[in-house]
Amino acid sequence: MKTLLAVAAFLAVCAPSLATQCHVNPVNIPKEWITMHRPCRDSMRRQIQMEVAASLQYLAMGAHFSKDSVNRPGFAKLFFEAGSEEREHAMKLIEYLLMRGELTSDVTSLITIRPPERKTWDNGVEALEHALKMESDVTKSIRTVIHACEDDNEFNDYHLVDYLTGEFLEEQYKGQRDLAGKASTLKKMLDRHSSLGEFIFDKKLLGIDV
Amino acid sequence: MKAIISAVMCLLAATGAFAADACYQDVSLDCGQASTSLALPRCNAVYGEYGRHGNVATEMQAYANLHLERSYEYLLSAAYFNNYQTNRAGFSKLFKKLSDQAWEKTIELIKHVTMRGDEMNFSQRSTQKPVERKNYTVELHELESLAKALDTQKELAERAFYIHREATRNSQHLHDPEIAQYLEEEFIEDQSKTIREIAGHTTDLKRFITANNGQDLSLALYLFDEYLQKTV
Ligand SMILES: [Fe+2]
Repeated sequence: MKTLLAVAAFLAVCAPSLATQCHVNPVNIPKEWITMHRPCRDSMRRQIQMEVAASLQYLAMGAHFSKDSVNRPGFAKLFFEAGSEEREHAMKLIEYLLMRGELTSDVTSLITIRPPERKTWDNGVEALEHALKMESDVTKSIRTVIHACEDDNEFNDYHLVDYLTGEFLEEQYKGQRDLAGKASTLKKMLDRHSSLGEFIFDKKLLGIDV
Repeated sequence: MKAIISAVMCLLAATGAFAADACYQDVSLDCGQASTSLALPRCNAVYGEYGRHGNVATEMQAYANLHLERSYEYLLSAAYFNNYQTNRAGFSKLFKKLSDQAWEKTIELIKHVTMRGDEMNFSQRSTQKPVERKNYTVELHELESLAKALDTQKELAERAFYIHREATRNSQHLHDPEIAQYLEEEFIEDQSKTIREIAGHTTDLKRFITANNGQDLSLALYLFDEYLQKTV
C-alpha cells in the first residue's frame, strides 16, 4: 500500500513534465526600454478604435452609393477606398505601439466592431460634408492624443508626438483639403444643374471623362 | 380603367410569376401623368426572387458582416505575433494576409449585395449558429492560433456551402444560380486552398512537437516562422 501511494505521489509530481508541451515558455528580458506612459497609451488605443469605426462608416457610405436606386459608383469607389485607408491608419498606429514594446497583453480588447451609425445620405454633397466632419473629428482626436503624450509631467513622448504631428496630422490636413475641394466643386456644379452635376462629378470620380 | 390595370399588374408582379414588362409598365403609366415626379418602383435591379423569398439575401449581408469581424480579429492576431515577446514575424504575416483577404471579401460582398438590388445591413446576423466567441482572445501560442484560424476558415467556407445550398434548392422561389455561381467562383475554390494550407501547417507543428521528445520545439518554431516569412 505504501509503495502504491509512493508511486501515485511520484506520478502526480511528475505528471506536468510528462504532458505534451505545445509551446515555448515565455522569457523575461529587461523592460527599461519600454517607456510609454499610460495616459498616452490609452489615448492611442482609443484612437485605433476610432480609426476602425471610421473605416466601417466609410464602408456604409460605399454601400449606400452602390445601391441601384442611388447609382453613384464613383462616390462608392471613393468611400470604399477611404474605408480601406482608415483600416490602414489603425494598422499604422498598431505598428507604432508594437515598435515601442506595447501590445504584449490586452490585444483582443483593442478593437470592437459596431455597426456604423449612419447608413443613408440624401446626396453626394451631404456624404462629402459628412466625411469632412468625420475627418475633422479624427483630427481633433489626434490632437488629444498628442496632448496626452506630450503633457505627461514625467515623460514627454517626443517621438510619438513627432510621428503623430508629422505623419498623421499631415495626412489629415491633406485629406480634409481634398474633401473640402470636392464638396465645393460639386456644390457649385449643383447650383443650376442638380441631377446632371452629380452625375458628371460621379463619373469624374470613377476616372471617366464624360 | 387605368387603376384596375395597374392593380392587376401589381398583383401579378407580387406573385413573382410576371416579371416581364414591369418597369416598362411603370414608365408607360407614369410618363403619361400630369405630375412631374416619377416613382417607377419596379425599375430596379431585383430579379428572380432575391430578397423576396428565402433567406439568401439576408445571409449574404450576414456573410459580409462575418468577413468584416473575422478580418479585424485576424488583424489583432497579426499584431499580437508582432510584439517583442512573441516576435514571430512569419505568423504575423500569415494573419495579416488572412485579414487582408477577409477585408477585401467584405467589400466585394457589399458590392454584390447592392448589385442584386438590395441594400447592405451591417447589423444582419446569420440564422446559422456562429462559432462560440465568448472569451475570445488573440493572445494564443503558435499552434493554438493556427487551430483557431483553421476553425475560422472552415466556418467561412461552411457558411458559403450553406448559402449555396439555400440558393440551389429545387424551388422556383428559392433557386438563385447567380448567387450559387458567385460563391463557387469567388469563395469556395480559394477557401479549400486556404484550409488545406493551414491544416498542413498544423501537421508540421504537430510533428515538431512530438519528434525527439519535444526537444526540437523551440528551434522548430523559430525555423517554421522563418519559413512563413519567406513563403506567405
Ligand atoms: Fe484615419
